[in-house]
Amino acid sequence: MAAFKPYWNRWLSRRIPVAASVRLNQRRIFIIPSQVGLAFMAALLLMLLAAINYQNSLAYALTFLLSSVFVVAILHTYRNLAGLILKAGAAPAVFAGEPATFRVRLESSARAHQAVSLGWPPAALQTLDVPAAGQVECQLNLPTTQRGWLRPGRLRVESRFPLGILVAWSWVDLDQQVLVYPRPLAGDLPLSAGASDDQEEEGSRAHGQGVDDYQGLKSYQPGDSKRRLHWKAYSRGQGLLVKDFASITGRDLYLDFESLGGDVEARLSLLCHWVLQLSERQQPFALSLPGQVLAANTGELHRDACLRALALFGRGV
Amino acid sequence: MSQASAIPRISLTWLLVAQVLVIIPHLSHLPLWVIGLWLGSAAWRVQIFRMRARYPNAWAKGGLMLAAALGVFLSRGSLIGLDAGVVLLVAAFVLKLLEMRTRRDALVLVFLGFFVVVTAYLFDDSMLMAFYSLLPVTALLAALIGLQQSNLATQPWPTVRLAGGMMLQALPVMLLLFVFFPRMGPLWSLPVPNDKATSGLSDSMTPADIADLSRSAALAFRASFNGETPPRSELYWRALTFDRFDGRRWSQSDYAEFAPAAQWQKQGEPVSYSIVMQPSSQRWLFALDVAETTLEQTRQMSDFRLQRRQPVDRSLIYQATSWPQALRETQPSTESLRRALQLPEQGEPRSRAWAEQLKRDYPQPEQLVQAMLSHFNQQPFAYTLRPPALGQNNIDDFLFETRSGFCAHYAGAMTYVLRAAGIPARVVAGYQGGEYNPAGNYVQVRQFDAHAWVEYWQSGRGWVSVDPTFQVAPERIESGLEDALSGEQTFLEDSPFSPLRYRNLSWLNELRLAWDNINYGWQRWVLGYQSQQQLEFLQRWLGRVDAQTLVMGLVGGGGLLLGLLALWLFKPWQRERDPQQRVFQRFERLLARHGVTRQPGEGPRDYAARAALQLPAQAQAIQAFALAFEAQRYAGQATSVAELHLCLRALRLSLPWRLTRLES
Repeated sequence: MAAFKPYWNRWLSRRIPVAASVRLNQRRIFIIPSQVGLAFMAALLLMLLAAINYQNSLAYALTFLLSSVFVVAILHTYRNLAGLILKAGAAPAVFAGEPATFRVRLESSARAHQAVSLGWPPAALQTLDVPAAGQVECQLNLPTTQRGWLRPGRLRVESRFPLGILVAWSWVDLDQQVLVYPRPLAGDLPLSAGASDDQEEEGSRAHGQGVDDYQGLKSYQPGDSKRRLHWKAYSRGQGLLVKDFASITGRDLYLDFESLGGDVEARLSLLCHWVLQLSERQQPFALSLPGQVLAANTGELHRDACLRALALFGRGV
Repeated sequence: MSQASAIPRISLTWLLVAQVLVIIPHLSHLPLWVIGLWLGSAAWRVQIFRMRARYPNAWAKGGLMLAAALGVFLSRGSLIGLDAGVVLLVAAFVLKLLEMRTRRDALVLVFLGFFVVVTAYLFDDSMLMAFYSLLPVTALLAALIGLQQSNLATQPWPTVRLAGGMMLQALPVMLLLFVFFPRMGPLWSLPVPNDKATSGLSDSMTPADIADLSRSAALAFRASFNGETPPRSELYWRALTFDRFDGRRWSQSDYAEFAPAAQWQKQGEPVSYSIVMQPSSQRWLFALDVAETTLEQTRQMSDFRLQRRQPVDRSLIYQATSWPQALRETQPSTESLRRALQLPEQGEPRSRAWAEQLKRDYPQPEQLVQAMLSHFNQQPFAYTLRPPALGQNNIDDFLFETRSGFCAHYAGAMTYVLRAAGIPARVVAGYQGGEYNPAGNYVQVRQFDAHAWVEYWQSGRGWVSVDPTFQVAPERIESGLEDALSGEQTFLEDSPFSPLRYRNLSWLNELRLAWDNINYGWQRWVLGYQSQQQLEFLQRWLGRVDAQTLVMGLVGGGGLLLGLLALWLFKPWQRERDPQQRVFQRFERLLARHGVTRQPGEGPRDYAARAALQLPAQAQAIQAFALAFEAQRYAGQATSVAELHLCLRALRLSLPWRLTRLES
């Protein structure tokens, strides 16, 4: 079976091309009897035998009625998926070990779609209904183990509605990917603050706590951490104020990949931890990775850039 | 996964409803304790669902199953056979509720349910049953739908509508399968239901047996004549003959069973008809006088009756042709004549004496018979279903004392006297007359039409039928039992509500005849649609029937029906009702063939601009189309799709011809 996988994938990608929005139609929906359907057929066969042996026209009629229901169910099961539009939603970045969340929007162009299941086998599929001419958003979780881009592969969309005796399915690739940051690991960090210009300061260490002095309040700027909002002042009607801290060192911190020990992943995890810590405190820092230096800065954009650099380090993407 | 495999509340409800509906038609032949078993199991299962009770453990389940088997054995006396088998099946169907934990178990229950419905047909295959059984089948399908994790499945009404709708849509294909699916004989023999109390003629007769039959309005058979239906007085339906008399009971000798078929000559106009016979558990068929039939495994016996190899235990359809004026056995074997003269050694002295007297007075058998008939006619003989009791010499008592009785008395006495006078004679048992149903142009014969008459043998003429009852009560022959009994109110006195008693109410009578006509059609065209009927039906409509026509009929017809159904379900003509949008899609396809594919989310204007850049030679035409489209679509200008078509055509003409050719 494994040998056919590439052919199968190539055929599938010709048939159902990668796209952020896929409408299921007759080219994209496959349908076969489910296990329940096979059992149903076996029951029908038994009934047919009874009809033949007892020469009973009504037994024949019921057998034929249920066989016809089986055939009609093919149309119904297919119809339940046909016309369904799947659209990829944004997938926020996660840290390795956390489940990645993919959003998929299901839209109905006309009729309702009942009991549509989505997911990436072998994980359990998630089942939901799409109302007529409406839309539903669905969150699919996928476990993450390593940093970098996570591409979930083709998404299985299936439905057994209405009778469960047939399964109609499709494999769609919504071109979704999620960025997985390294898993943050707490630890001490040898600081090389402003290494490029202040070599003599080498050796000073950042400490987990008590590094910062409270300086006073300043007015809120977009990008300031919401954790530092001075809610009491806000409740007194003084507007949005942010508690301002100043670093002891008074200089920018410099997170350097080269200055750490351990293997690559451990170093990245440690750096990740400190990027988060420092961003939390709104302390400007720079990040240096082999072949890439992010200048000292603060704010969410800077943090995300650093995490992205960590996630994709050595991945070449 | 446990969440996904648990049985939803709605599905459980459907299953319980379906179980009730499935079991109801079986009530007439199920022991009562099965109902109790169902109530108990249902209550237990509901309590399990409400978390008030637990599933039975393996011991309890085994114990219940054993108890059920024991119950079947005690109430049916056996564990095999159809009746016991069905009770066991229903018991399993009921007990399965208790071990129904997962969806898979629920499916087993649903499939068992379908099978139990099939077994119900073996006991009752009337039209009402057929329509009723749509209810449990719908409920079982609804239970299947209820097992789906959909919001729709939690609403009872849409679920039923969907299940019913699917059944309706399946109906045309079902009819096709029913007509074309080749019928074959039983693959192996199976036990048949034995609780069908079949009343009817048996292979021996006392007057009391016929009197019993006269009380029953049960249907014996129905007959449709090809051509005009003969008058009632000519409808003597022969079943069998009795050639042995033991002083009390007329019966059939073994000789008749094994003797070679008697010879006879066709004479006069033949009468053809088809008969739909109710199960009789006997092997003989009914036909007028001497008949031929096309039915397989049936032969004519030495007394001209038609007999099948197997007893008729389900309704049977056959064609027959009779020759009422046929000459029967002009040269009989001495053995058969000897048997037609058998009498007990002694008894009935007065009858024997009268026979001697008659023989002296009328040397010709024909004259003797005529004399006897006029004797019955002129002496005060009475026709009654309540004759006085007869003594040891019952023929003497009847002929000379009581002088009242019915067909069995007259036929028995006449045969006795004829034999005593040396004329070979025998009693013929069967049915006489029947009710003509003008709605369906057929005759329905019921058990109370049972009749006995006499057949005597005369040199040169062979066997000749005479009916002494006709001399006593001609109205019995000409208009039926009810009129013959009009004086004594004994017609169907045990069944006061039988619609047959109210024939004088014309609307009720018409209703009854119409209903019977429907049932007759049902029996002929639905229940009787087996191998021979199928062949005849298909030959009539298709001319020629072989495997190829059957397969072509099934595949072609099925494809056609499903295609129509798909059209109806998908309504492709509604897919893009917007004509502007349709023209725009053609525009898109046209440009895509020339290498400009619209990107997702790209508006018409941006797309046209990009296309104009890529195809500078056609830029003008492209922009013209885009402008017209925008103007119509968004600027609210008067809609004229024709204009869009013109623009599109201009564009197509401006594009290189090779590709436009491909496009068209």
